[in-house]
Amino acid sequence: MRSLRIVCPVFVLVLLAGPALAKGLSLPEHERVELDNGVVLLLSEKHDVPLVGLEAIVRGGAVTDPEGLHGLASLLAGVMEKGAGNRDAAAFAEAVDAVGGELSSSADLEAIRISADFVSRDAELLIELVSDMLLQPTLAEEEFTKLRDRSVNLIKAAKGSDPGRLLPAYGGAFLFGNHPYGNPVGGDETSLAEITHEDLIQYYENYVGADRLIISVVGNFNIEAMKERLAQAFGGWRAALVPGPEVPDAEKQSGRRVLLVDKPGATQTYFWAGNIGVAIDYPGRAALNLANTVFGGRFTSMLNTELRVEAGLTYSARSILRRPSQPGAVVISSFTETATTVEAIDMALSVLGKFHDAGLADEMIESARNYIMGQFPPRLETASQLAAQFAMLEMYGLDTAYVDDYGAELAAATAESIATVIDDVYPSSEDLVFILIGDAEAIREQVAQYGPVTEMSIDEPRFRPQPE
Amino acid sequence: MSLFSELRRRNVLKVALLYAVTSLIIVWVVDHGVSGEVLPIWTKEFVLLLLVIGFPVALIFAWVYEITPEGLKKGMDVDQTQSIVYKTGQKLNAAVAVLGVLGLAAVVGERLLPEFEFVRSEPVEEIPLRPVYDSPLGAGVPREITSYSMANGLKIIVWPDHDIPNVVMYNFVRAGGRNEYPGITGLSHFFEHMMFNGTSELEPGEFDRIMEAAGGANNAYTSNDLTVYQDWFPRSALKTIIELEADRLQNLAIDPDVVESERGVVYSERRLRIDNDNFGRLYEQMVANAFVAHPYQFPVIGWPSDIENWTQDDLESYFKTYYAPNNCTMVFSGAVSPEEIFLLAEQHFAPIPRQTPPPPVRTVEPEQSGERRLVIETDAQAPLLHVAFHAGTAADAETRHMELLLNVLVGGSSSRLHRLLVEEEQLALNVGGWQMEGFDPGLVYFYLTLPPGADIDAVETRLLEEFARVATDGVTAAELKKAQNIVLADFWRELATINGKASSLGKFDVFTGSYENLFSLPDDIGATTTANLRAVAENVFRKNNMTIGVLRSPESEQGDAE
Repeated sequence: MRSLRIVCPVFVLVLLAGPALAKGLSLPEHERVELDNGVVLLLSEKHDVPLVGLEAIVRGGAVTDPEGLHGLASLLAGVMEKGAGNRDAAAFAEAVDAVGGELSSSADLEAIRISADFVSRDAELLIELVSDMLLQPTLAEEEFTKLRDRSVNLIKAAKGSDPGRLLPAYGGAFLFGNHPYGNPVGGDETSLAEITHEDLIQYYENYVGADRLIISVVGNFNIEAMKERLAQAFGGWRAALVPGPEVPDAEKQSGRRVLLVDKPGATQTYFWAGNIGVAIDYPGRAALNLANTVFGGRFTSMLNTELRVEAGLTYSARSILRRPSQPGAVVISSFTETATTVEAIDMALSVLGKFHDAGLADEMIESARNYIMGQFPPRLETASQLAAQFAMLEMYGLDTAYVDDYGAELAAATAESIATVIDDVYPSSEDLVFILIGDAEAIREQVAQYGPVTEMSIDEPRFRPQPE
Repeated sequence: MSLFSELRRRNVLKVALLYAVTSLIIVWVVDHGVSGEVLPIWTKEFVLLLLVIGFPVALIFAWVYEITPEGLKKGMDVDQTQSIVYKTGQKLNAAVAVLGVLGLAAVVGERLLPEFEFVRSEPVEEIPLRPVYDSPLGAGVPREITSYSMANGLKIIVWPDHDIPNVVMYNFVRAGGRNEYPGITGLSHFFEHMMFNGTSELEPGEFDRIMEAAGGANNAYTSNDLTVYQDWFPRSALKTIIELEADRLQNLAIDPDVVESERGVVYSERRLRIDNDNFGRLYEQMVANAFVAHPYQFPVIGWPSDIENWTQDDLESYFKTYYAPNNCTMVFSGAVSPEEIFLLAEQHFAPIPRQTPPPPVRTVEPEQSGERRLVIETDAQAPLLHVAFHAGTAADAETRHMELLLNVLVGGSSSRLHRLLVEEEQLALNVGGWQMEGFDPGLVYFYLTLPPGADIDAVETRLLEEFARVATDGVTAAELKKAQNIVLADFWRELATINGKASSLGKFDVFTGSYENLFSLPDDIGATTTANLRAVAENVFRKNNMTIGVLRSPESEQGDAE
C-alpha cells in the first residue's frame, strides 16, 4: 500500500482548480460561411483524437412528404446511401466500411440528415462520399424497390418485437391528425406501397438542393483547407425546385380521446398521453427544461418516482417534449402489466395534476439546475456531437447564445417563471390524447373511462385509424 | 605520526563515513523518485556515478583543508595550536549520528509504515490537447493512467482527462449470471436494482436524489459475468459520489418491503425485454439450449419463478460475498487527478472489510456433439432465425480474431452476410451478430429477421453455406484490411469520450488482467492474418457446435402471414 502523506499539497491545488473547471458550458469557436448558392458551411477544429465528424442537413423531411406518400423523404434518405457518383450500392458501402467510417442518412420530421464519423486521414473520402450522395445519388430503381419492400416488412417485424417503439407513430397520427407533424416519418405499410420510383426522383429534384443545405464539420483538420474543399464540392450545386415547407401551428386539443391498438396476448400495456406543446424557439426554454427534468426527465422525476420507485408498476415512466420549428407534442409515456393498466394511467394523471397544482420548490429547482448543468458537457464532447449541435442551431436559426447563455437562463429561472411555463406548456389531465397498445379484450372496457375509444388492430397497415 | 592517525586527526575518516551515509540516503531518495516516475529512469545511474567520483574528491578536500573560525584554509597554513579539527570532528560525529538515525528510521519506517512514494503532480489546470496516441500504429500506455490497490483488495484505476469538466465512474463488480444457480437466477440483476434502494444511512431513493441534485446521473447493467455501476457527474460532485458509492457498498439495507416492490419493477423489465419482445424470447431459449451445464445458460434477468421466490437470506449472503471490495474494480476517467481519488478512497472505501473471495465457477461446458434446434410458435408477422456457436473467452487471442471475422461477416452494409442475404438475395430484412466476451467460453451469435412468409429452411441453408464457405476458404486480404480499419476506428471513437475511456479500461482490466492490454489492441489487430481468421472460422463454425432457433407463427397460420 502506498502512503498519501505527500499528496496533500497536490490535492489542495486540485481543489483550487476545481471551481474554475466547473464553468464549462459554452460552444467552441466555429466559422460560418454561406456560399453563393445558399449552402451554409459550419467549421470547427478539434484535435484530441484523429477523427472528423460531419452533419449534413437538408431542410424539409417528412413534413414535405406528399399526401398519401408518407415515408418518401425517409426512403430517399435510405436510397441516397445505395449508390452515388461512380459507385454502385455495394461499392459505396465498401468505400465507407473499408476505412472504418460511419455514415448514415435518415429523415426526421423536418430534415434529411447525413451523419458521419471518419478517421481524419480519410476526410477527403468523406467529403467525396457526402457530396456524391447529395449531388449525384444514383437512385437506382432496383435499390429503391428493395428498400421500400424491406421498410414495409420491418414495420411488421417491429409490431412483434418492440411495439413500444411504435407509440410515437400512432401518437403523432392521432394527435396531429392531418397536420404535417402527424405524418409517420418512416411511412406506414400502405403509404410505402404506394410510392413509385418516379415519385422518388421527382421528390429529390423538388426538395433537395443547395438553398436548403447545411454542412457542419468538426474535427482534426485545417479549417482553411476544409473550407476550400467544401466550397469546391458544394459551391456549384443547383437549388431545389419547390420552395421549402411552411408548417402551420397545430391547435391544442381540448378534451380527451383514446386510440386503443389491439395486440392480442400482450402481457403489458404501453401508454402515451399528450397534447400540442411548444416549438424550439420557445422563450421560456430554460424554465421549461427545469420543469420537465423534475416532472419526467430523469430517474428521480415525479413520474418515475411514483410509478416505478414507489409503486413498482413499471420499469420506466417519463415525459417527453418534442420541439420542432412549430409546436410539437408534449407527452407522458410508460408501460405496465395488463392488469395494472388503469392503476398506472390514473397514477400518471394524478402526478400531472400535482405538477400543475403544487409547482416546484426552490430546492427542487436547484437540484434540476445542477442536474442539467452537470449532464450537459458530455453531450458536446466529441467532434460528431459538436457538428450536430452547430447544424441544429443553424437549421432553427438560433445562434450560439442558445448554448452559451443556457447556464445564465437556468440560473435566472424562478419558481414563478417555472409555474407560468408549466401552465403554458403542459396540458391539464382533462385535455389529453391517449394511445394504448395492449390486449384490447382485457382492457377495452376499463379504458373507456378516459374518453371515447377508437380501436384498431396492430396488424392494420396504417398508424392512423381509418374512418368506419 | 602515522598516516592513519593523521587521517583521523584531519577528520578524513569521519568525512568518509559522513559521505557514505549521505550517499546512501541520496541513493535511497533517488531510487524512490525513479520508481515513482517523478525522476527519469537514468537519474539513478547518473547520481551513483557522481557520488563515486565525488568520494575521492571529498577525501582529498578533507585532507588538504581545515575548517577554521576564519573560514576554510589549507591544513598546512593552519597554526596547529589554533586548530579546531577536534571540534569539527565532533560536529561530524553528530552529523553522522543524526543521519544514521534518520536513515535507520527511514529503512525501518519503510517496512512498518505504508510504502513511501513520490507522486507525479498532474498539471490539472492545463487542458491537454495532445493526442493520447502519438504513434500511427496506436501503441503506448498513456502515462497519466494510474492504478492503485487498497489493503482491502479494492482496485482503483484513474485516467485523468480534462477536456470537459466532468468525471465518469465505473464500478465493475464480479457478479453476474455465471455466479447463479437454479433458485437464484436473476439475483445479480436484482442486486443491480437493490443497490439504489437505500442503506442504513439513506432512505430508499435518497441515493438518486442526492446524486441528481449534485448534477450527477447514474445507471447500471448486468451481464453474464459482471454487474457494472456507472456514474456521470460534474467534477464538483466528486466527493458526494464517492461518499454515496462507499455508503451503499458498506451499509446496504435489504428492506423486505422494498424487495417486494422491486420484484415488480424487475418483472416489468422482464415483460418489456423478453415476454413482449420476440427477439428477447428467442434469445433466452437459444442460450438456455446452447449451454447444458455452464451457468451462462440462465437468463440474466432470471427465470420468472426465481424472480418471484428468492429469499432474504439469498440476498444477504449474495451481497456479502459479491459486493466485497476485493471483488470490485473501480475506474475513474475525466477531470480528476489520481491523487485526489486515492485520498478520497482511503477515507471512504478503506473501512469496508475484505471478504472471503466468491467460490470459483467450476463447471466447464462439455463439448457439444451435435446441432441443437428449437422452435417458438407465437404471433409473429416476421419470423426470426438465430444461430449460435460455442467460442472463446474475452482473454483468448481467438476472440480478437473472431471480432475481425464478425466484422467481415456482419459489420456494416458491405459485409458478406448483409450484402448477400439482405441486398442481393433479399432473404432477410436484416442480419447481425456479436460474441459474448466473458470470463468463460461464450457464444458467437447471429440473428436474422426474415420477411413475412419467408421460406425459413431455404434461408437457413443459404446461411449455413456461408459459414461453411468462410470456414473452408477464409477471407480475402481486402476483407481483413477493412475489418481491421473498422475495429481501429471504433477503438478511437471509444477513446474520444471519458465514458468510453472508463468503460474500455475497466473491461480490459477485469477480463484480461491488466488495463494495459487495451493499448496493445491496435498492434494485435494489425498483426492478425487471414490465416488466423480462417482458423477461427474453421474451429467455431461447425455444425456439431451449433444451436439454431426459429420464432414463427404456428404452422396453420403461416399462409396468413403473406
